[in-house]
Amino acid sequence: MKAMKFLAVFMVLALLLAACGQAAATEAPAATEAPAATEAAATEAPAASGAPEACADALGCAVFAAGDVIKIGMGAPMTGGNASYGIDISQGATIAMTDAGNIDGWTFALDAQDDGGTAEGGAAVANKFVADPAIVAVAGHIFSGATAAAMPIYEKVGIPMLSPSATNPALTTTGSTVFNRIAFTDLNQGNNAADYIFNTLKVKKLAVLHDGSDYGKGLADIVAAQFVKDGGEVVIEQAITPGETDYTAVLSTVASKTPDAVYFGGYTAEGAVLVNQMKTTGLDKAIFFGCDGTYGEDFLTRTGANGEGAYASIAPASPDSEAKTKFNAAYLEKFGKEAGSLSPYTWAGYDAAAALAAAVKQVAVVADGKLYVPRAALVAAVRGLTNYVGLSGTFSCQSNGECNVDKPQFVVVKDGKWTNAQ
Amino acid sequence: MNDPSSLPLTPKGKNNLQTNTNNAVKKIQSIQNSKFMKLLRPILGVVVSLYIVFRLYQVLVVQHEYGPDTWTRLLISGLIIGGVYALIAIGYTLVYGILFMINFAHGEVMMFGAYAGLYSFWAFKIIPVAGNPPTNFLNAYPILAIILAFLIGMTVSATLGYFLEKIAYRPLRKAPRLVPLISAIGASIFLQNAAMLLFSPQLRDVTNPEILRRGAGWTIVVNGSNVVLPYTGVFTFVLSILLLVGLYILVRKSKLGRAMRATALDKKTAALMGVDVDSTISRTFIISGALAGAAGVMWGLHNGLVYYFVGFIPGIKAFTAAVLGGIGNIPGAMVGGLVLGIVESMGPAALGIDFQLKDVLSFLILIFVLTFRPSGLLGEVLSEEKV
Repeated sequence: MKAMKFLAVFMVLALLLAACGQAAATEAPAATEAPAATEAAATEAPAASGAPEACADALGCAVFAAGDVIKIGMGAPMTGGNASYGIDISQGATIAMTDAGNIDGWTFALDAQDDGGTAEGGAAVANKFVADPAIVAVAGHIFSGATAAAMPIYEKVGIPMLSPSATNPALTTTGSTVFNRIAFTDLNQGNNAADYIFNTLKVKKLAVLHDGSDYGKGLADIVAAQFVKDGGEVVIEQAITPGETDYTAVLSTVASKTPDAVYFGGYTAEGAVLVNQMKTTGLDKAIFFGCDGTYGEDFLTRTGANGEGAYASIAPASPDSEAKTKFNAAYLEKFGKEAGSLSPYTWAGYDAAAALAAAVKQVAVVADGKLYVPRAALVAAVRGLTNYVGLSGTFSCQSNGECNVDKPQFVVVKDGKWTNAQ
Repeated sequence: MNDPSSLPLTPKGKNNLQTNTNNAVKKIQSIQNSKFMKLLRPILGVVVSLYIVFRLYQVLVVQHEYGPDTWTRLLISGLIIGGVYALIAIGYTLVYGILFMINFAHGEVMMFGAYAGLYSFWAFKIIPVAGNPPTNFLNAYPILAIILAFLIGMTVSATLGYFLEKIAYRPLRKAPRLVPLISAIGASIFLQNAAMLLFSPQLRDVTNPEILRRGAGWTIVVNGSNVVLPYTGVFTFVLSILLLVGLYILVRKSKLGRAMRATALDKKTAALMGVDVDSTISRTFIISGALAGAAGVMWGLHNGLVYYFVGFIPGIKAFTAAVLGGIGNIPGAMVGGLVLGIVESMGPAALGIDFQLKDVLSFLILIFVLTFRPSGLLGEVLSEEKV
């Protein structure tokens, strides 16, 4: 029976450990609201040491001693099948940090963390950021699912967000004060895509697929609804399991409905597999119509000849201003790739980070050799962005956090390259 | 608890643990034989089969949703994936037959084979071959390149299997059965993360030789509609069947096969009869590793994407296939793999449910087999020790 006793003791210990782990996890965001206990000395200095009045409210200030770096966070998929989005957008944002210069010697830096583009990853990265007193704002997150999970966490501590690419319409309907975006919404993207497919491509029977994510399903539903409204027929709507490499079975059932085109709401990883396997499952004549999630160089390399004639939508290219040309040159020099080749959001990534840096500059106060960034004022400043001229357009944030009303631009693969569709 | 020798791994503790396991087994058996279970089984069986028949009737007869061309396409994708499952499932079955443990790191062995194939094809693509126009080794000698890639993939996986047994399982040979199982899960996590650090977490695209390019194949006409038999798919299926038949002959006819069967029946007696048990077990791991490596290279050729997690789901599915066919039984693993592949591709369409639920379907099969027929479709020949 000794073994039994040993087991019992072990179980109790395990339970205790599990309980502690959970408590720590749930307390994490709360703890950061008052980092006073641990970090107060260096950072969240109370009014006693001469902090400006703006820091007197509940959210307080981020405080930087001489030599500290002001950090802008970014949660992005840096690994896995959709890594090109995270890598590209964070690279664009890095250049913005250099261009932002400094506030009396305090410089900016980007802290890009891998959230895998998932809700769980988004929450994990958000918890990490709120625990870091040097993070004043977040240029992100990149994917809608991760953004939705991260929003309430930032809301508690007053970290403003400005996403370059989270397009799910529901994100701005939750009443969040911290979330803003310069991406077009999927309502806009989906309705336009459905109209384009029906009116310009003359498609009458459409199959709609999605990956079951916040973003993919949301977009697919919008397209399906609008396509029916236009007078077309949605012959099948199916969800696929993301992360797989064999969708031939589901494509075969889609083929049995003989659609003229297949709309896919999701990302490159699955989109490329679908395009490849459409050729062998009786869908070789159907048009593949993707979205802003299936654009980019990875799609081209993975699909090769099979990708010819596939569509995607991107943020409309703004005319090449002097600043944009300068940025493109800097991007090419630093990362060895053309800006915009990895994802459609290179410029938006730059804009989001640059706009946040500008907002920080607007509210920051220097006192007694320290830099104070009042969090509540920063949240208001980001929401109050008006006529901000960026590389990818001019942005003015509305009261719900939408800063962009542009229509998407449709692109098609022609001779192995993405080209603007008519 | 003040006697340190009572830790579960020391002989005394081991005996205790064994008695506990035996008690637990008896308890499970008594639950299985109880009145409740005796009643529950037929009732559940009838309910489930009635439901399935009802759904089949609905979809096939009432709605008549898919024509024969669609069913042919579904059958093709099912057979291709089923062949790969069968190859991996053989590895589970061989190891279980001899060591009575589930080698949960087997999917990772396959993943390393897939990476070996990926890098071989890349290397062949780089080697230039003179000619008009100048080409590369991969397209100049495609058959040789494919054979070489398979040999490299199988060698890498076989070596990995060999060392896996030597490092993670052999020291635990005498430990209770749960201990090597936990070691296997540890090895699986270790190998996944090692691959992530070695090869980066990004998805890699496999470069196929031109004659086996993805997305092309023979066309047959079924019901007035073109059904494509993809080259890579046919190649995958034929090669898996050849390897499976080869393995069956090896186990049935060769001296090594006889030694393997003897070891599986009774290790002690086999050793007394002059069978080198340790080397037989090592060779079993080498063989199952080689088959997993072949499955990995095929996976890369057919599906085209390789990353560090690529072995996990096929590994679990193959385990399901092995259990379905009767774990420890070689023809059972083959049948189980093919059946599972077909159920996965045809099941959601036949039952009229969403394709996202195909994994639910395959793991439901695992649960039902374990509950109602733990010995699997073809039944397992149990030796004394296993019971």
